[in-house]
Amino acid sequence: MSTSNDNSPSDKKGHIEHAGATDESIQRVHAILLREQDEPKEGFTPMPLFLLGFISAMIFLGSVYFVQNRGDFDPLVYDTRYDAEAAKAAASAPKALTPEQIIAKGKVLYNTCASCHTPSGMGVPGAFPPLAGSEWVNGSEEVLVRILLHGLAGPVTVKGSIYNGNMPAFGPGGGYSWNDEKISQVLSYVRQEWGNTGTAITAERVAEIRKLEASRSKPWSEAELLPLEKR
Amino acid sequence: MASASQLASSLSPSASPQLAKRAELSAIDASTKLPALFFFGSAVLWLIVGTLFALIASFKMHTPTFLGDYEWLTFGRVRTAHLNAVIYGWSVNASFGVAFWLMARLSRAELRHSGMLLIASAFWNVGVTLGIYGILTGDSTSIEWLEFPSYATPLLFFAYALVGAWTVITFRFGRSKHIYVSQWYILAALFWFPWLYSVAQIMLIFSPARGTVQSLVNWWFAHNVLGLWFTPIGLGAVYYFLPKVLGKPIHSYYLSVLGFWSLAIFYNWAGVHHLIGGPVPIWVQTAGITASFMMVIPVIVTAINHHLTMIGNFSKLKYSPTLRFIVFGAVAYTFTSLQGSSMSIRSWSEVTHFTQYTIGHSHAGMYAFFSMVMFGSIYYILPRILLKEWPSAKLISLHFWSTALGVIFMVLALSIAGVKQGIDLNTLPVGADGHTGSPVPFLEIVKNTIPWLKLRSYAGILMTIGHVAFAINFVWMLLKARPAGVTAPTLFRDVPELEVSR
Repeated sequence: MSTSNDNSPSDKKGHIEHAGATDESIQRVHAILLREQDEPKEGFTPMPLFLLGFISAMIFLGSVYFVQNRGDFDPLVYDTRYDAEAAKAAASAPKALTPEQIIAKGKVLYNTCASCHTPSGMGVPGAFPPLAGSEWVNGSEEVLVRILLHGLAGPVTVKGSIYNGNMPAFGPGGGYSWNDEKISQVLSYVRQEWGNTGTAITAERVAEIRKLEASRSKPWSEAELLPLEKR
Repeated sequence: MASASQLASSLSPSASPQLAKRAELSAIDASTKLPALFFFGSAVLWLIVGTLFALIASFKMHTPTFLGDYEWLTFGRVRTAHLNAVIYGWSVNASFGVAFWLMARLSRAELRHSGMLLIASAFWNVGVTLGIYGILTGDSTSIEWLEFPSYATPLLFFAYALVGAWTVITFRFGRSKHIYVSQWYILAALFWFPWLYSVAQIMLIFSPARGTVQSLVNWWFAHNVLGLWFTPIGLGAVYYFLPKVLGKPIHSYYLSVLGFWSLAIFYNWAGVHHLIGGPVPIWVQTAGITASFMMVIPVIVTAINHHLTMIGNFSKLKYSPTLRFIVFGAVAYTFTSLQGSSMSIRSWSEVTHFTQYTIGHSHAGMYAFFSMVMFGSIYYILPRILLKEWPSAKLISLHFWSTALGVIFMVLALSIAGVKQGIDLNTLPVGADGHTGSPVPFLEIVKNTIPWLKLRSYAGILMTIGHVAFAINFVWMLLKARPAGVTAPTLFRDVPELEVSR
């Protein structure tokens, strides 16, 4: 047989019609093809019913899962534990300050007080009483808050010395009109600075006392305050 | 073509319709011969090269000093070279060959101007060679699955465009009225891959997106290359070879349709599950997880379709190499996909992600499924385009058992190591966030993986033996002379009822 028959039929057009193409050579060339099965076909068995149920269940569960974990489609939400209600509440609520932040704010506010009580809290002997080590400052918050809200007039004994001056009101009616936060911050500062040992005073406590004394318009005197100090 | 079928019918008028069909197939096979050989030859070469890189990388995991003094073979480069060599070298070369061979046969069209495919193959392999060289010299882009430096990628794109265009043209000029399920998968894959590759190249390398969008694009690409390129090509091959070897139709056309479209709809979303817990909007993560779970639908549907086609014919696995590889691959597809869906569950992802478990999973997908299907396909295609039989059934058997056992051991070893690693890494100190465990020191966790990583290396050696057997058989087949008489297929053992006598 000729060598050209070693190639498959389509190599060169027409070469198969060469006289040398015998039955045997054709069969040899096609041997591998002849033994293979027909080209694949598709059967048309209907889809089993349970599969339909399974797929529906998957789609249902997938949808539920997606809706429950969608994080409001918010591009800034990264966590499944995200709760839209809680997030909204947290965003509108005033931010709670740390004790350090309260002290820092109080220190800034104290600049106002420092003109009389001096930055070191030592006051001016004979004129303005000291805050450092003062029994009034370290004492009852009831008294201290009231002094700040409405001021203090007349003689007052601090650390054994008598001072006779006027402490202005920082609450309603006074020239400063500080809110509860400011008062609580500055008081928390002076009660914990210069070695003072008083506790911090919350804005809520200031608000309570402000409400209790809402009708008061004139400054306190030492005599009025001393009973409160003991309480 | 017409002449061949006319001749066949004139020779034996009684058997004419059957013979004419076979003559047509013969002409089609012959037209694909050179490009298919070129692609398969390159694929086998890259398989060997990629396997060597894999072995080096694997040994370095438990013996870091191994080849530690060569800059080109540091772990970061050799591991990357392994991935790219087996993906773009072995897997894509093999899938190109299988894709256009299947397309030509199923469309009943001869490849026209097959020289263009040779050019494409040359460009592709030069591109891959340049890319691997670039990675080894330190030019990697460091973007996962896209590490090839930008001087290699345009070559790949050009080659791809040619292969894609030629396969679509083959489909367009086909004589077949019916579009078989394998053709859907291959055609879809041919459109999906350039979409993925070009978007990823542009958004990550040529004009990079900013911030977390990069990671989203990266995983969208890397996961979709598996799901929208390798999976459809692999399934297309299974859908062809399973009924072809068995000689019976695919169980149900309706299941094929459902499987195809549900894959097309859901897969594209799934890649984001690699970013669970990352700085990506939660709804995007949830969409990824949901889609990963919806992937159970195509997987189950396809598995049922394949199983009901196969049922009653399992004894044929004893004989046919193609069937054995294809069925192994199809079963692995079902297993890997279900495993993949489970890995997208948030609480399980927290354990398994970033551990060896993920590596095990990717080998189950790319090797136990895809590569095994490609092996089976090549075992079927090569005798038809070379008109010769495989020289040694023993080598095929060796190839099957060493790769099948190898990949099973590898996946098991990495899965066990990964779960332990993940649980240990996640163990917080007593009291922290309500935890009660005692944390394992990081170095202990690393040490605990060593025995499993060694087992992985041994599994790798086993697979290498299989690959070498395959390569020897391949080269031997190319070199051996075509026999004079009618030949019998190379099967694992003799089948008495075989149509063609010895």
